[in-house]
Amino acid sequence: MHAITSDSLSKTYRNGLAKRKEIKALQDFSISVEEGQIFSLLGPNGAGKTTFIKILLSLVHPTAGHASILGQRLPSVHVKERVGYLPENHRFPTYLTAGQALKLFGQLSGVRHSKLKTLIPHLLRLVGISEWQGTKVKRYSKGMMQRLGLAQALINDPQVIFLDEPTDGVDPIGRKEIRDVLLNLKQQGKTVFLNSHLLSEVELISDGVAIIDRGKLLKVGSVHELTTTDSQYQIGIGTTLPESFRAEASALLLKLAYGVDGVTAELKNNDELNRLIDLLRKHRVEILSIAKKRSTLEESFLNLIKREAAQ
Amino acid sequence: MKILALISYTLRELASKATLYVLAGISTIIIIFMLLGLSSQVTGDSTVATMFGIPVTPPMPVNDIEKLIRLLEVGLADGLFSGIVIFGVIATAGIIPSIMDRGTIDLYLSKPIARWELLLGKSLGAVAVVFLNILYFLGAMWLIVGIKIGIWNAHLIWAVFQLTFLFACLFCLVLLLGVVSRSSALPILGAFLYLLVVGAILEHREQSLYRISENVIYRGILDGLYYLLPQLSALKKSVSDQIMGNAFDWKPFVQSALSAATLFLGSAAVFSKKDF
Repeated sequence: MHAITSDSLSKTYRNGLAKRKEIKALQDFSISVEEGQIFSLLGPNGAGKTTFIKILLSLVHPTAGHASILGQRLPSVHVKERVGYLPENHRFPTYLTAGQALKLFGQLSGVRHSKLKTLIPHLLRLVGISEWQGTKVKRYSKGMMQRLGLAQALINDPQVIFLDEPTDGVDPIGRKEIRDVLLNLKQQGKTVFLNSHLLSEVELISDGVAIIDRGKLLKVGSVHELTTTDSQYQIGIGTTLPESFRAEASALLLKLAYGVDGVTAELKNNDELNRLIDLLRKHRVEILSIAKKRSTLEESFLNLIKREAAQ
Repeated sequence: MKILALISYTLRELASKATLYVLAGISTIIIIFMLLGLSSQVTGDSTVATMFGIPVTPPMPVNDIEKLIRLLEVGLADGLFSGIVIFGVIATAGIIPSIMDRGTIDLYLSKPIARWELLLGKSLGAVAVVFLNILYFLGAMWLIVGIKIGIWNAHLIWAVFQLTFLFACLFCLVLLLGVVSRSSALPILGAFLYLLVVGAILEHREQSLYRISENVIYRGILDGLYYLLPQLSALKKSVSDQIMGNAFDWKPFVQSALSAATLFLGSAAVFSKKDF
């Protein structure tokens, strides 16, 4: 079953005196997220990532389209019993301590009082702020607020967890701890939906990724699919390339880049790959490996956004 | 359970603010003053009420002194009404706009609670705080007058609920203004403007605004506004009549209840349509 589906979801904000100015925050946005995945939505600022999550949580009303969580069509108050959410720049009531804040949001989630007694210390321990349980939230640093926010998102033992920039303001050790928490949630069969700017982190833990820009879905797939480039090959060689090879390759209009450990080739099709191999063999170059070149998620993301902007 | 949690945490939120402590402080000073000063001296069939040993009434039959004490209680209830309006509105006007802040509303609305339930829970919390203040003051007065003078006016306890109802009606107006404007200043201004100007003008519209035009639509709008908004002056008069033991008029209570319900439903409708 899909944990999250959206079908042609659109949201247009109307601003200005006569509400004539339109901002298309989301346009025909359709994706499906399998249960038990860590799925990340990537995009530049203002791309529509938060709007998408807010529609799923009924904080924002869609202009068109529909969506569902765990098979239940939205909007639905009841589905939120199985959903957790860590908003970006969240603000807890400052007059509460961490324990009181978790108790409030636990009660609002319908968690029994007796269960909260054991659950709250457990969650605070899990996110690493158990010694601050009795301290007023107003004294918390940004990183501690993020950890408390994560604990709050897990208070009802949700099946689907939405996290909007969960590691924002958290130090590297804390980020690693949060990553471990998310991987542990995945192991428990829970679905984690992540909005993050930290692409290197997303790459480490995500199963699926979608890239969004100006409200439009640009690409969706696994991290492997998004970071593998069809046209680029990395060829490892055991001997140095003779000058004659370079001249002949250039005459054949092959786009090659020479590195210390091999050649990176941008090829149009398999014929060009075979011609390149033939050429290497002809010049008695020892071929150690041939693999499709993988870029980082960040490189793929930037290339895609650049291409979209150029269009 | 969710509504109860909201009420309880709204009480905690308001307890963290100084405004209501001022009202409670003033109440406490008056209570201590009455506790230490008020007493009665019985001579034969007549009684004299005294403050710090000084007679404040001529010797009167018990029935007449009871009337006088009830007048004193009406005065105290009127004073409390002013206190509730000033401090209660100022203290509670911000509780709805504050939950609508970005980052806060996300936390609330991501929980399995309907938007109208959130409004109801927070509103009931605000009303509960004011109820506790009224109960503290009038309950203490009832005990002091009962123990020291021997007059147990049950109508004073009934007034606790009536004054709370009166505040609840006013709060529904504050709620609507808060939801529409997302500001805490506008509801305070609106509530005071209504109490001091608009409410009084509408109540006496037949002697004032009616004279401007005889147009049926114009007069209909004035009447509509009068019945749409809570009739606080009429409610206050009913509370005074009730404390005095006079005939009690239910009409302003029913009209104000309908008006408050309309204002609450309007607030819930506006709130449910908002994007956050």
